[in-house]
Amino acid sequence: MLQLDAIAESLRLLLTPLSDLILTYVPTEWIMSLPAITLVLFGMIALVVGMRYNPLGISFIGVILAIFEMLMFDPRVMSGYSFGTLFVRDAFSDFFMYIVLIVAILVLLSSTLWGGDKGAYNFLLLISFAGALWVIMATDLVALFLAWEIMSTPTYILVALGPRREAIDGATKYFVMGLLATMLMLFGIALTFGVTGTTELSVLSEYVNTLWASPVGNEPAAYTLLLAMVLFLVSFGFKVGIFPGWQWVPDAYASADGSVTAYLAGGSKKTGVSALLRILMVGFFFARIEWAPLIAGVAILTMIIGNVLALAQKDIMKMLAYSSIAMMGYLFIGVAAANEIGMAAAGFHAFTHAIMKTAAFILIWAMSFKLTKRITYDDLAGLSKRAPAAAAMFAILMLSLAGMPLTVGFWSKLVLFQSAVVAGMWWLALIGLLNSVFSLGYYLRVLKFTYMEEPKDDSKLNLPMIPMVTVAICVIAVIALFIFPNVILDYAFEAAQLFFP
Amino acid sequence: MQLDFATNLLNLLPMNVLVLMLLVPLVGALFAYLLGSKGARAITLIITTLELGLAGLLIIGTPSLGSDPGGMSHTVSYMLARLGTDSTAPVFEIILGVDGISMVMILLSNLVVWIAAIGSNHIKESQGLYYTFFLVLQTGLLGVFMSLDLIGFFIFWELVLIPMFFIIGRWGEEGCRHASIKFFIYTHLGSAVMLVGFFYLYFMSSMFDINGVATQVPTFSMIALRDLGLDPWIQIGFALAIFMGAGVKLPVFPLHNWLPWAHVKAPTPGSVILAGILLKMGGYAFIRLGLWMVPDAIARLAIPFAIVAIFTCIYAAFTAMAQTDMKSLVAYTSINHMSWVLLGVAAYAAGAGSSDPTIQAAANLAIQGSIFMMFSHGTIISVMFIVAGQLKYNAGTREIPKIKGLMEKAPKLSAVLIIASLAAFGLPGFSGFIAEALIIFGAIVVYNWSALIGFGIFVTVGYMLWMLNRIVFSDPDAESENPITEASWSDLVAPILMLIPVILLGVWPDLVLDFVKPVIDAMLAGGSP
Repeated sequence: MLQLDAIAESLRLLLTPLSDLILTYVPTEWIMSLPAITLVLFGMIALVVGMRYNPLGISFIGVILAIFEMLMFDPRVMSGYSFGTLFVRDAFSDFFMYIVLIVAILVLLSSTLWGGDKGAYNFLLLISFAGALWVIMATDLVALFLAWEIMSTPTYILVALGPRREAIDGATKYFVMGLLATMLMLFGIALTFGVTGTTELSVLSEYVNTLWASPVGNEPAAYTLLLAMVLFLVSFGFKVGIFPGWQWVPDAYASADGSVTAYLAGGSKKTGVSALLRILMVGFFFARIEWAPLIAGVAILTMIIGNVLALAQKDIMKMLAYSSIAMMGYLFIGVAAANEIGMAAAGFHAFTHAIMKTAAFILIWAMSFKLTKRITYDDLAGLSKRAPAAAAMFAILMLSLAGMPLTVGFWSKLVLFQSAVVAGMWWLALIGLLNSVFSLGYYLRVLKFTYMEEPKDDSKLNLPMIPMVTVAICVIAVIALFIFPNVILDYAFEAAQLFFP
Repeated sequence: MQLDFATNLLNLLPMNVLVLMLLVPLVGALFAYLLGSKGARAITLIITTLELGLAGLLIIGTPSLGSDPGGMSHTVSYMLARLGTDSTAPVFEIILGVDGISMVMILLSNLVVWIAAIGSNHIKESQGLYYTFFLVLQTGLLGVFMSLDLIGFFIFWELVLIPMFFIIGRWGEEGCRHASIKFFIYTHLGSAVMLVGFFYLYFMSSMFDINGVATQVPTFSMIALRDLGLDPWIQIGFALAIFMGAGVKLPVFPLHNWLPWAHVKAPTPGSVILAGILLKMGGYAFIRLGLWMVPDAIARLAIPFAIVAIFTCIYAAFTAMAQTDMKSLVAYTSINHMSWVLLGVAAYAAGAGSSDPTIQAAANLAIQGSIFMMFSHGTIISVMFIVAGQLKYNAGTREIPKIKGLMEKAPKLSAVLIIASLAAFGLPGFSGFIAEALIIFGAIVVYNWSALIGFGIFVTVGYMLWMLNRIVFSDPDAESENPITEASWSDLVAPILMLIPVILLGVWPDLVLDFVKPVIDAMLAGGSP
């Protein structure tokens, strides 16, 4: 019995009439995909309503309804499959779906500041959320590809919609790199299909199992599959922002409007993680010995690139973008460990990173919007006097990203490093820790400017209410989860156990 | 030494005394933040006094060697996280408990924090925030000395950094921001290496058999790790990691670079806490994680440790002689004196395993000296730093060559400075002498060449007297742009109060040593169950 199950159960009871109604009228095939379908539906309604009125309320209703549908139909009591076996809801996908939905709520809250009053904006966001849910649920490579496009395409436009001119620039870079990644992914799928004759991950898994059991004489097949695996790593890693596809991240993150950035960093990035985890842990589970060192190398390079370049930034948005690259490097330590703790740690880190980074981006975006300029370190000078609450929240978020105690960032890094040690890769944990020390160079610079420098102008900075409340919720969660990490960690372990029956 | 009424009072407390001591400053911090500059100082004084009282009550009401596992008392544990969903999964928890050594360090922390709170009277800017950080810092410090498991230890160890970073960087003087970041990164680097050591030990505590199958649930609990009897070669890897983490804090020669910066740039109360307690965290880590938990490893590393300690002592003494800033000089004195602690640790480790009772007795003396040195240095250096900081207000500068004739213009301040300096270089009658004597008496029996550290004493006496000569006993400079004034009584309260334990322990060292001896005897006898 996990800690939040009691709440879920009572909500489920409360919603029984609604779920009965849905079960009568909606085809069984659709039930598990219903959250995503609802989001598509409400996206369209928002588009229509947005012609005359502010459609943000519609979007909220859509996301909340999607969460309710997640709660109502429990994959533990009914079949988790929908549309044949293309999509599945299980402990693992639920974990990541809730991450996306939580980020969705936060992003919509922050959209009240800018963009939320436009129909197209809401439509694109909701479609992208729906795509993200399907990506997480996909168990078939073709379905995964389609869902991936449903998720990605709206975000290209969303980035370009940003209020500043350079948004087009960032979006173009994102789009071109995105197309490259898509192409590589298609190539990987084609190779997989060519060798195995299937695109279904569970069938692929059995094929890999037999192939790896008797590799002699079948080397070409094995090497082709490994090439396909590398292509998947590159193409999904592009969205996650790991080596070698990280170059678009800072430009797109820094130029898009902050709510979209928060979604990219908190939501769509995690879908890449979940898709990659599912491919590696289901499809290529028996080739662990081969991919674990590769992932370890990717993790090391990603951490180093992210941290070194973050140190060189003046723009806070770019700094956060690079730090987000580095954080994904830490996450892949857990993937490289390829054990139960590692998977749980990766999931837990995905969750904590989602709240920390979403909040940080929303906060800086609100400041940037208020001051109508890009925020650099100089603008943070004396923030503790101009906006004490915002400064304190930002400081807590930075300490959490740096992995200091009293914040949840401490646990997520600790569990990640522990997973590496348990897998016998203590050197990987050491490199991660040294990177974590290195990252203090830029996190502490934020604290130095906010708390120790004198402001250039002493006027009070009144930041908009709703985004600040959003950030405050995240900050409270960051501290509360330090004291009760198991509230989330248990679910992460439950998700990880799926791969290790 | 245990008094019944104190034990009864401890039993009357509504919760575990250790938990109470950790929570009171945290609650106080919240109030200090809410009250802002109006009441923060008052509330901090109340809280720190209360904490000092609790620490006193704890030490006289608790046996040095308790009945709980590992000779601890008041043991309490709180599970933070479970790695897995079933009940056999490994856990991260905080285990608190104290024995004689911890209680002495807790008393020292609360004493130094109390003095630092009294000495914070020159902090005028953003008082609410300052005292909030100050009280959070106290929680962190106490937690380090109470923790009986590696994760809790690490959490508190790191928790100390955050408020200290803000105190140095926000309320320090010119250049403090750079110093605070240097302090944070340097010590965090040491802790990171130490954390890898913790994980390594945790991993090894599975006690793999010949086939590589784990036979135990891995654990972070110090007591369990000590009782496992790990292979000495595993212990050595861990001990080297400890050397990185604790060696940065102590500090020893190649890792000491952050210290002069942080100490000089910090505000006076910050320097007092840095030198008075943060350095002792390093010494305590050497004793608790090293000698107490993995004695075999430290025994094998004893000779290098002793050499590093002796070199650091002499090196720091010469460096101190070259300083012109008074605070900088005092900072190097700390390095100089803390290296004695490491020498005592090394001598104990080398001598404890010997079958010769003379050498065992020497080891016993050396480790008693180490602990006594931490206590006495914590008290003496607080006075030195407060006086050094006071010079800025009363002489306008801390540059030693520019201050002349302090004795004539400010006799009260001079008197405090003279007494503290005499105590610092170990004049008989003050606590510093007892500490150095115990360590050197013990160390010489174990390693006769450790007498070389006597050269360090010689240089220390030299630069202290030279400093006094230049500042105190020189003729006043009539044309000086900074006229020297006498310190007010409100500034002198804190150092004078702190001189009481300095002199008291100089004539009655057993006041502290009696709490420590039973624990050391138990350690020498191979650890209590």
